[in-house]
Amino acid sequence: MEFTYIGKSVRRLDVEDKVTGRTVYGYDLKLPGMVHGKAVLSSRPHARIIRIDLEEARKLPGVLTIVTGRDLPFIHGESVKDKPFLAIDKVRFIGEPVAAVAAVDEETAQKAASLIRVEYEELPAYFDPKEAMKSGAHPIHEHYDSYEKAPFIRSAPFPNICHYSRLRYGSVEQGFSQSDLIFEERYEVPTIQHAAMEPHSAIAQVDENGKVVLWVANDAPHRAQTELAEALKLPLEKIRFINPYQGGGFGSKGGLKVEPLAVALALQLKGRPVRIKFNREETFTSTLTRHEAIIDIKSGVKKDGTLVAREMKIIWGTGAYAEKGPTVCIRGSMPAPGPYRIPHVKVDGYAVYTNKAVAGSFRGYGIPQGAWACEQHMDMIAQALAIDPLEIRLKNIFVEGDETYWGERLHGVGLKETLLKAAEAIEWGKKDQGIKGLRVEGLKGSRVKRGKGIACISKPTRTPTTSNAYVQVAGDGTVQVFASTVEIGQGANTILAMIAAEELKAPIDWVTVAQPDTDITPFDASTTSSRSTYHMGNAVRFAAIDAREKLVEIAAPMLEAERHALLVENGKICLRDAPQMALTFGEVIRRRFGANGSLQGRGSYTFTAGKDLDPETGQSSRASAFYMYAAQAAEVEVDEETGKVRVLRISAAHDVGKAINPLNCIQQIEGGLVMGYGAALHEQLITDANGRILNPSFLDYHLPTSLDIPELIPIIVEAPEAEGPYGAKGLGEPGLAPTAAAIGNAVFDAIGVRIRELPLTPERVYRALQQQKKGAA
Amino acid sequence: MKQKIHLTLNGKKVSIEAPAHRLLLDLLRDELELTGTKEGCGTGDCGACTVILNGKPVNSCLVLSGELDGADVVTIEGLQTEKGLDPVQRAFIQAASVQCGYCTPGMIMMAKALLDENPSPTEEEIRFALAGNLCRCTGYTKIIQAVRMAAEELRSRQ
Repeated sequence: MEFTYIGKSVRRLDVEDKVTGRTVYGYDLKLPGMVHGKAVLSSRPHARIIRIDLEEARKLPGVLTIVTGRDLPFIHGESVKDKPFLAIDKVRFIGEPVAAVAAVDEETAQKAASLIRVEYEELPAYFDPKEAMKSGAHPIHEHYDSYEKAPFIRSAPFPNICHYSRLRYGSVEQGFSQSDLIFEERYEVPTIQHAAMEPHSAIAQVDENGKVVLWVANDAPHRAQTELAEALKLPLEKIRFINPYQGGGFGSKGGLKVEPLAVALALQLKGRPVRIKFNREETFTSTLTRHEAIIDIKSGVKKDGTLVAREMKIIWGTGAYAEKGPTVCIRGSMPAPGPYRIPHVKVDGYAVYTNKAVAGSFRGYGIPQGAWACEQHMDMIAQALAIDPLEIRLKNIFVEGDETYWGERLHGVGLKETLLKAAEAIEWGKKDQGIKGLRVEGLKGSRVKRGKGIACISKPTRTPTTSNAYVQVAGDGTVQVFASTVEIGQGANTILAMIAAEELKAPIDWVTVAQPDTDITPFDASTTSSRSTYHMGNAVRFAAIDAREKLVEIAAPMLEAERHALLVENGKICLRDAPQMALTFGEVIRRRFGANGSLQGRGSYTFTAGKDLDPETGQSSRASAFYMYAAQAAEVEVDEETGKVRVLRISAAHDVGKAINPLNCIQQIEGGLVMGYGAALHEQLITDANGRILNPSFLDYHLPTSLDIPELIPIIVEAPEAEGPYGAKGLGEPGLAPTAAAIGNAVFDAIGVRIRELPLTPERVYRALQQQKKGAA
Repeated sequence: MKQKIHLTLNGKKVSIEAPAHRLLLDLLRDELELTGTKEGCGTGDCGACTVILNGKPVNSCLVLSGELDGADVVTIEGLQTEKGLDPVQRAFIQAASVQCGYCTPGMIMMAKALLDENPSPTEEEIRFALAGNLCRCTGYTKIIQAVRMAAEELRSRQ
């Protein structure tokens, strides 16, 4: 089928505003009469609050109000309601907000916050989830049992379990007894952070009718609206989220982060808007992190490399509050055994509370952690059996029509093609060859060793979920898409406009996309989980078709023709046989509705097939509306004298179903790759013995820079998804999912040492080399 | 205590009163309503707030108002002329270097400062010049490509 826009690299609609500095982000917003808030953050990891002394702060001129947890009996949480707006009676991590001040300016608010004294009585604190779940550990949430929870939340007979998820398929005992060889290992992934360039901020105002209005770059305005309404015990219509542009989020800006602080102050300030801006340090200590994970993996295989059984136990360090920990635990644990046909699988996932910053959703939602273990483990098996790492994958991967170990039949599986293309792009199988632009000299006997590695993943999306959309055609023919998908940098606005233009047969220049606003734009589950192109893409597509059909119906009598005799093209409706007989969209609307009229098409999409997850077995015939498949292959150099790993090039082949905007896909793949590269080589939030983050700044938390990055080779694979718009799946998250494992496998190929912890710092690699030498001696 | 500051901002004379400890970044964003210059860290580590001060790129979060009397400041809002976008801005569009866009104004100002000083930078020089400007979305390759494209266009005009 010929498309006008779909499949074309249409320029992003918002790019000119972004290169001129005109785009308004959450951090840029100001309102008339606005006052400024500041939080007092806990200095203790786990402690009872004995006393909060506000006296000195209250005396400071310019201070308008101060609130503490006792003023705010509101508890929130998406699946476990465990988090107060401000700590009530105890703190659970360093950086937890304990009090908040509003003042006439930022300086006064900051000064007042520094004058607030909090007296604590320390409790035993846990920074390692393994310790926190040991019998006898002090509970971080004493009243966990009485918390309100989503129906899928399960506990386990250990202390500090926030959620326990399990998967059972076949019988691993039987599988291991049928295996020729059994392999068992442990892998670990440290805490990292999203580090979006825009720090967190929110403005809240309570209007004269008691309606709470928030201006915040939240990635799921309707979900946040619900969470806040439930906490405040207000009807949904009393909460309004207005979304400015978001300067990156990667999962860190959903749910409620700074919002409760702004709301807590706004409730006291009777109509005045109050803004809370977290600085970078506060963003590091007090917003969200990615789960640390301890992953035990055991596999039984035949001598020819066929997988027979796999058992995994994953401990997810979820930090002080549940946040999205339970669903990361579910959706990260379930597919952790990898995109392989395995007849016997058992997985136990534990989300464990610790006294560290809250862990939650992070681009990839648990898949990168699982892949770090599973994909290196696959290479370890391959090496033991003397099988090529690519071959062992090709032998076991999911293919069209397979039933997965979570009980779902797969269709549109482009995994094999991603593996082959990623491998080919780095000349898989060719060793120590010269590389374009690089001279390779004396590698033999040199202290610099070179190697190649490959890794692959499949990633599910949140299911079932709903997206609704309106497409409005105005009296001048211009088109506006009303959708609550948030433009977080992924390019969603452009994709949605392209789909609307395609289906309406309108020039794309006529199409704009409204900013999300829960009072105006219709419901959407979230801008997360790589779900927008598929779900909202479908909703916008249906809305545009609906608008087009309505236009044709109205135009038919005007053109004195039957509907089937009409053709819609280029913003006009004309007679199929006499195209000169035409009316523009604007003319049709003005004639029917008058000069200021407009017409609205509606669309809604919910993935409905199959059965929900069984919490006992983890089996579900609709665990995911679609799966994203990806393979990445890296070539590295390792300096054996210093332990320094240098990635030379890395290919990333991603099955997107259908690339609606290929250039946009390439952008997402490149960005994901470099985020994965950072997690592989440098990134880690380091805490001291008291749980204090030691590197809460860009100086000490090493994000990849322009000097670090290797050659990137992004590749698009298209295995269409039946229900996706034009066959599209999703792409936002997988870019970083297999990266660390591909690099880890390449490091092994180079130096013969398997490194099971991240990041691959020179020190860690050097020590592993020394260890190996000791072992050999 | 506030003091009077006279400066040239985006080619226009501006007088403003501000305490000497007010950061240039805050002066731009809060007093002069120029929010195109972004705040990413406030500690000089991310480059989002890069502006050109007296011909040199600086982190505006590390410059105090007390240093600004008589200064010449160019921000992202000052690049576009009646003739249209600056070649660096155009190159960022053409090379698809923008995703969330939060680092973009700082990146563009840094690239502009580089090309003003060195119209034919090597890839190494481009990477080095941008090393203090962090981006979490793009993976940098398309930003580096944009700077190369802008350099080519600027050279072809001479």
